[in-house]
Amino acid sequence: MERDLISKKELLDEKGISYGQLYRWKRKQLIPEDWFIRKSTFTGQETFFPRDLILARIDKIMNMKDDLSLDELADKLSPALPDYEMRKSDLVKRNIVSSIVLQRFASEDDDSLVYAFDKLLYFYVVDKLLQAGEMSMEEGERLLEALREHFPKFAGKACDLVFTRKMGVSSFALLSAPSELYFESGVKVVARISMTECIEQLKGKWV
Amino acid sequence: MNQPAQGDLVINGVSTASGGQYGRVKIDGVGTVEGDIVCTDFDCNGMTKIRGSLAADTMDADGMFTIDGHLSAARSFIDGYVKVKGSLKGDDFVMNGQLRVGGNCEIESFRAEGAFEVGGLLNVGTMDVLLQGRGKAGEIGGESIRVVRKSSGPLNKLLSWFVPRLATELHVESIEGDEIDLEYTQAEVVRGNRVRIGKGCTIGLVEYRTEFSAHPGAKIGKEAKVGD
Repeated sequence: MERDLISKKELLDEKGISYGQLYRWKRKQLIPEDWFIRKSTFTGQETFFPRDLILARIDKIMNMKDDLSLDELADKLSPALPDYEMRKSDLVKRNIVSSIVLQRFASEDDDSLVYAFDKLLYFYVVDKLLQAGEMSMEEGERLLEALREHFPKFAGKACDLVFTRKMGVSSFALLSAPSELYFESGVKVVARISMTECIEQLKGKWV
Repeated sequence: MNQPAQGDLVINGVSTASGGQYGRVKIDGVGTVEGDIVCTDFDCNGMTKIRGSLAADTMDADGMFTIDGHLSAARSFIDGYVKVKGSLKGDDFVMNGQLRVGGNCEIESFRAEGAFEVGGLLNVGTMDVLLQGRGKAGEIGGESIRVVRKSSGPLNKLLSWFVPRLATELHVESIEGDEIDLEYTQAEVVRGNRVRIGKGCTIGLVEYRTEFSAHPGAKIGKEAKVGD
């Protein structure tokens, strides 16, 4: 999976920002360390970024930096889980998680029960995969279990969820990002989701 | 904010203490701290070693100071020699002496007189360095970067002739910033908006956006105006 990369120089030209701004944002942890990809080119060492991620992030920073301080921005963008909470009934109302998912996985919970952000995140990820039609309900249940058991271990570090299937047998894995992963032939990677992106998307729903 | 009162750590003479959470830490003499330490105020004189990381609001280190882990301090004042094996983070950093960092450095305001060595990226808001020894970093990036050198005496010149490692120069792969002002710097690439290359510099490639000036004695491989 070769990602589309953008060089630092291109990025600065395209977005009209300066080196100083880029380094400042990096210092403030607005841009994660692991997006800085060092590569040798014929002109020497150059730094590249994952194009889609960095362009979206720079836009976000430029849009919000007038209203928020850089530290507030950092909180919003960090992979650490915020202490947002939401009532179960609001989840459906605000179209964050579909009612089918809640019926299936949270039917015994009371409507007024308040979920912490990590619980919401698990539902959100399961919902996302179900909506994409890539996963069955039974698999969703297993995914939910896997997330509950293993996701807290990453403790705020960036991680990816990988969903594979071989000869009809599915399995889930959580791995720290960025990492490269190769499978034997016959294994189909159904989905690879960045949990960090999911957290950001979910955080975005609060605004 | 109502925080529970935290104990202080005071070492006088030769002693070892364990890490943990402290209010004030004062070490005079030869002190070793085993493990990570978090405190509001850290003050050491003499030979100090921390086998772990240090996180403090204010740090004042005089003498020889070694940290096996990472150092993060909002304000640091250093006279003497500091070695950090991990990374360094801070807002204000004022140094007289020598600094060695194994990993990356992230400092808002870096004012130093002396020598420094950073293994990874030195990321600074403003950097104002008066070199009195060798400077070395993988990369330097930031908003305003200024490196100057005191004119070295004849003895120093002779010494650096025999031992080039001790020459009062800055060696770095690349420097990127908005305002860059350099003297006695060896770099492969310098990129910035306003770039001034002073005497004694050897730069492979200079890329600038708005302004560029070079001392006649500076050796510059190639210069290019980029951007709009």
